[in-house]
Amino acid sequence: MKFLVVDDFSTMRRIIKNLLHDLGYPNVSEADDGKTALPMLQAGNFDFLITDWNMPGMPGLDLIKAVRADNKLAKMPVLMLTAEAKREQIIEAAQAGVNGYVIKPFTAETLKEKLDKILGPSK
Amino acid sequence: MSSFALLKLEYGACVEALTEALRTEDEAAFFSAIDHIVHMREPGMFTEIRKLTGDLQKALERFSIESRLADIAENEIPDARARLTHVIRMTDEAAHRTLDLVEQSGPLAERTAREAAALIEGVAAYRNRTSEMKGFEGVVRSIDAFLPLVRSMEAFLPAARADSELIRRNLADVLMAQGYQDLTGQIIRSVMKLVEELESALTNLAKVSGDVVEHATMGESSGPGHGPAVPGVTKGDVASGQTDVDALLSGLGM
Repeated sequence: MKFLVVDDFSTMRRIIKNLLHDLGYPNVSEADDGKTALPMLQAGNFDFLITDWNMPGMPGLDLIKAVRADNKLAKMPVLMLTAEAKREQIIEAAQAGVNGYVIKPFTAETLKEKLDKILGPSK
Repeated sequence: MSSFALLKLEYGACVEALTEALRTEDEAAFFSAIDHIVHMREPGMFTEIRKLTGDLQKALERFSIESRLADIAENEIPDARARLTHVIRMTDEAAHRTLDLVEQSGPLAERTAREAAALIEGVAAYRNRTSEMKGFEGVVRSIDAFLPLVRSMEAFLPAARADSELIRRNLADVLMAQGYQDLTGQIIRSVMKLVEELESALTNLAKVSGDVVEHATMGESSGPGHGPAVPGVTKGDVASGQTDVDALLSGLGM
């Protein structure tokens, strides 16, 4: 299972990477915004996308829209992991096609729960 | 009444007072009479001067606000930007330092736990095997079986002590790394003070200019995102936590 973690803060990417490692997903790549992430997604065979919303360059919501508009990527599971907490934004993200939405600050349990829900119970 | 008769009525008394002052050589009365005549002759002039004085005062006030604003824009804003960049760098360093220490400690704790578990199993297996051993031969065999366990313990105990000491040191370093909160907090507070000053200077400028301050309403597109919700600042309907988000999404059929 190959993950792409997109967040403009390297510390947050590192935290998510560590958590994924602990959950039994050691194969994780990183990108710092949508613009960097999209070509990686198109080129590499990723199985799961975890993205932040508020990023310079291309924000996460635009990345999700681009992913859903790409035939090859349209079915990829996407988890939004963000500090954006306005109801209208959560609805906007749902309409853009996220499979899960976790708000920061978050816990390891919440991340595991959402991954399990999207992927089925983990190993 | 003719227009000259009107003038006589209006100025007669003043001219008489002036003549009287000249005659009596009363300087104060003379100037007072002159002032009175000038006042009557130029009623608009004094209002005009008053207005000009007011304008001049406003202009001076405006100038002092504007030069303060220029100073803020030229020196203090770049300075504040540098300070905030420093805050980002400090939080970044502290977070990475903490993550380094956590990443370093995790495997140590794991190794101790794994080796302790192996020893527990070894001891349990030893008990099982030796419970059947009887007599002198049994004692010899049980001692033989015990020796590898002792060797494992001799290897495990110093390693466990060293690992635990390192983990303890790492935890102390994690504690120290949290000092960034104090330092960055102070920097952010100083920037807040500047923002406050800027706000009051701009408000004063708007007042002096007599401009109507209109509160621009930002477009409500959430394209690039708003950043973390700040209690008391973020407006609108904000989810209070993950439970709230989950409820909202399950309401949408997710």
